[in-house]
Amino acid sequence: MVERYVAAKTVEEALEALSGGDATVVAGGTDVMPQSQAGRLKLGRTLVNIRRVAALSGLALTGDEINIGPLTTVADLNEHDLIRQHLPVLADAADKFASPQIRNMGTIGGNVCNASPAGDLLVPLLLLNAEVELRSSNGRRRMKLQDFFAGPGKSHKKPGELLTAILAPLPKAGFTARFEKFGTRPALDISTVSVGIAGVMAYGGLQEVRVAFGAVAPTPMRGPATEHALEGKKLDDAAIEAAAQAAMQEVKPISDVRATDWYRRELVHNLVRKVLQDVARG
Amino acid sequence: MAVIAKDSLIGRRIPKMDAPEKTAGKTRYVQDMKLPGQLVGMILRTDRVHARIKRIDTSRAQALPGVHAVLTAADIPQKPIGVNKDNPPLKGDKVRCIRDEIAAVAAESEEIAKAALKLIEVEYEDLPGLFDPTQAMQPGAPVIQEAKPNNIAMVFDYAHGDVGAGEAESDVVVEDEFYLHYVTHCCMGVSGVIADFEPTSGNLTIYSNTQVPFLHKREFSEVLGMDPGRIRIIQPPIGGGFGSKLDIYPFEPIAVYLAKATRRPVKLVFSREEEFIASPTRQPAIVKLRSGCKKDGTLTFRTVDILLDNGGYTSWGATIPFVMMQTFSSLYRVPHCLYHTKAVYTNNPYAGSFRGYGNLQATFAVEQQIDKMAEAIGMDNLAFRLKNAQAPGEVTGQGMVFKSCGFKECLTTAAERSGYVQKFSANAANRSKPSARKRGIGMASMLHVGGGAKIYPSDGCGTILKLDDFAHVTLITGASEIGQGSETVLSQLVCEELGLPMSAVTVVNNDTEITPWDVGVHASRTTFIAGNSAIGAARKAKEKILALASKVANLTPEQLDMRGGCIVRAEDGEVVMPLPKLLRSLHFSDKAELVMTTNYYEPPSVHQGKDFKGDVSATYAWATQVCEVEVDTDTGIVKLLKVTAAHDVGRVLNRLGLEGQIEGGIVMGQGYALSEDMVFKQGKLLNPAFRDYKLMTAPEVPEMDISFIESMDGEGPQGAKGVGEAPAICMAAAIANAIYNATGVRMTNLPFTPENVYRALKGAS
Ligand SMILES: Cc1cc2nc3c(=O)[nH]c(=O)nc-3n(C[C@H](O)[C@H](O)[C@H](O)COP(=O)(O)OP(=O)(O)OC[C@H]3O[C@@H](n4cnc5c(N)ncnc54)[C@H](O)[C@@H]3O)c2cc1C
Repeated sequence: MVERYVAAKTVEEALEALSGGDATVVAGGTDVMPQSQAGRLKLGRTLVNIRRVAALSGLALTGDEINIGPLTTVADLNEHDLIRQHLPVLADAADKFASPQIRNMGTIGGNVCNASPAGDLLVPLLLLNAEVELRSSNGRRRMKLQDFFAGPGKSHKKPGELLTAILAPLPKAGFTARFEKFGTRPALDISTVSVGIAGVMAYGGLQEVRVAFGAVAPTPMRGPATEHALEGKKLDDAAIEAAAQAAMQEVKPISDVRATDWYRRELVHNLVRKVLQDVARG
Repeated sequence: MAVIAKDSLIGRRIPKMDAPEKTAGKTRYVQDMKLPGQLVGMILRTDRVHARIKRIDTSRAQALPGVHAVLTAADIPQKPIGVNKDNPPLKGDKVRCIRDEIAAVAAESEEIAKAALKLIEVEYEDLPGLFDPTQAMQPGAPVIQEAKPNNIAMVFDYAHGDVGAGEAESDVVVEDEFYLHYVTHCCMGVSGVIADFEPTSGNLTIYSNTQVPFLHKREFSEVLGMDPGRIRIIQPPIGGGFGSKLDIYPFEPIAVYLAKATRRPVKLVFSREEEFIASPTRQPAIVKLRSGCKKDGTLTFRTVDILLDNGGYTSWGATIPFVMMQTFSSLYRVPHCLYHTKAVYTNNPYAGSFRGYGNLQATFAVEQQIDKMAEAIGMDNLAFRLKNAQAPGEVTGQGMVFKSCGFKECLTTAAERSGYVQKFSANAANRSKPSARKRGIGMASMLHVGGGAKIYPSDGCGTILKLDDFAHVTLITGASEIGQGSETVLSQLVCEELGLPMSAVTVVNNDTEITPWDVGVHASRTTFIAGNSAIGAARKAKEKILALASKVANLTPEQLDMRGGCIVRAEDGEVVMPLPKLLRSLHFSDKAELVMTTNYYEPPSVHQGKDFKGDVSATYAWATQVCEVEVDTDTGIVKLLKVTAAHDVGRVLNRLGLEGQIEGGIVMGQGYALSEDMVFKQGKLLNPAFRDYKLMTAPEVPEMDISFIESMDGEGPQGAKGVGEAPAICMAAAIANAIYNATGVRMTNLPFTPENVYRALKGAS
């Protein structure tokens, strides 16, 4: 039962409220509200609304990385010039996200902290080698997003910690990244499977390949075997098929109400193939 | 004097009368109502699918402050409800499916009611479950309803001709088994009721979403053992029906019992999750169909064997064979037909009526086999359909008389406007090309009642019409508005007769104490039946008005007309007198009189006997729909690109309302075919939320080309027919045919969700 509601205006106020323990952070509330109403999430005694913490919103290019405030909404990601120019794959994922209403409310910080294997911004963020900054009343730390997830809905963020920034290095020249989301209908659908592939195009193939998958494992995952299969290879039919095979073998999907594991693997194979054919065409 | 030209409202685009209020969010549904002293009612549902109830302990719930009553089966009379009277509102001995009601509370607030439900302790002894209808008749199958030890809930048999003879003269015979899945109505307004006893008289008022207020009144009187004269049903604006509110369900008597126990009004409204779990579904079916034709394309016979999963109790779903039979016997000329259906009890949820009432299921089977047979004899399937389609004046084997019939025009119009024949062969030729995306086009037609359906001894509707001194009309009709636009079309028909603008009418249609009898909103009947009833009442008023006007004007009534709110000379429209003035002169004369008329319309149709033969509807409606799809063979996604629909509607009355009805029906049929799916595992629903129960949303709505065939029905109101259910019926069949055209794979099992389609394309099981 919620006993205290804190509408923090500063990071310090929010951290102070969190330090008491048994607190729930609310950003856009688009995960917190439906989950608590369905009884899947028990709200803590203190509800900390961070929506008004100015320092947590906004986007900026600092040095060679883009600093994305966790309160940046999905709609902002889709529209902001910095994102469109430097991280278009994130804008694309934002475009495929839920409905306009949810995009206006839902935040990138919420998507990260909710740690759903199907979170649509997470696959592009993995492709971008993003990092997260966490703060608590004891200090701040930074970690790779790849190391942040612990399981479905679970992360290595400690209860007293607030996500205060998402940082993405500026991609190199020639960097290309694609995101494919599969849901059964074009709008308002949770990903059944999502696939991301990125790298630097050279000599008809990809270098420094990064592959990531959503909704096929307990957490969003990088795909080292697929990356290996692709690294430096010319993207001909054989290489594409080999990568698609590697992808379907390294994912670890489950069967649930949305799809069977068999179908998810097939989708991974076909989506990887489709994306690579697309990349090969240029 | 001024002149008023003859004008007509028929065929115009008239916005729904309730649209401004609804779009402004001002409509007050039952959810918004609050009576003084009202308590919140809530139901404890079981979490078992088949179990004996050993003990229910409500003492802790009773003791919770703010709780006014806790009821179990022990506290109420054991009066089962439903079509087979097999469904006790509160279950005392055992539970048979996941929605089962075992206790109910009335409390000061929702929070208290919820807390009270948690305090009720129930002890069960689990019984073996039965989830597969094909196993219901196996020896040793669990018995669900003790009164029906063989698990058979309902059987329908029908025959005309001799299928043996039909088969003997066939050149081609096809046989398939089709499986049709569970979907549900998804009304935006969830189920809800308020029960209120008047303290002194003990009279009961029920604020209800029902589609059948007068039948409901009678049901309630039986369940409650109360004089029906003391039960009043008021329908606040209803947030969608689609057939879901055609039966009485346990929550309704439960609310009444709670109101009785607490002597307070009790409001019981479902949550969305509860609506998914505990409101009825569309009837799932396993359809075995065998049909044949000659080389020249003449149909020879149909043999039908259908198994329906009745679930734990019997609601209207079990009776869909009544409608399916019409399609099997009479959609196209069928010389011989043999038809058997069985509904068997299981521990699954039970189905109710749902727009189309079995016809989606039947048409799915029939229209796929039409394509198969045409292909087998090497005939173009449009020509095959045209060869077997009926013409006006034909009588079917089941005894339906096709007085007006635009069937062939539906076929040719939809085919021509979509370029069906050319696209069909082009797509088939493209199948083998390497592209992952395949285009397909498919067609299906349907036959449905269009002039009511006499499933009760009466299929009538009453109207009371009153004109006040200022020529404002109060139209009091038995027909309920459930969002389909009946108020608007009925007002339009009355205004057409009386030469008045739409703004001159107020409709009263939601209170059994005031409105005259009507059998209810079902069978696409309201425009036809209530429309004819309203026209009759308006004509009586007109007769009376013109009789008086003829004295004033020194002309015969035939020489007069009513236009633009005035009495005019019929031949040139010259105004004789404004209508209000005439009405006042009537009212305030020596022989003071008011213009108030009543009319009861009973359609000229037949209440069929045990052989199910006879002309069950006053007229019939046809439609042909052509669907164009793109199948992504990498994912199994079927994208519906375009629907070309041609509907025999008799005559277009309100074009806007009609288009809305067709468009909505197409999208509903699309959802049935492509995405909606209630996923059950051992009788438990795995997706009771819109997140995973996928309704179509705006981006998936296809391009539509809708044509109306005006066959001008002789009995119809201004020539119109009922079309409420028609547009949903063909979609799944047409999409199945389109998928085949695109891929060469025939899908006999619904739904065509991406995974199911992908699996079929891969040939995996
Ligand atoms: C109808 C609907 C459709 C949806 N469709 C999609 C979709 O297509 N794709 C998709 O990925 N998701 C979808 N979602 C899920 C949700 O919208 C997203 O995950 C969204 O990004 C969550 O952001 P939020 O700000 O609303 O998070 P909230 O609900 O406010 O928070 C989510 C979680 O993160 C925590 N949290 C939030 N911000 C911080 C912070 N700065 N520091 C520490 N903890 C924090 C909260 O405590 C909570 O545990 C959908 C949800 C709904 C209701």
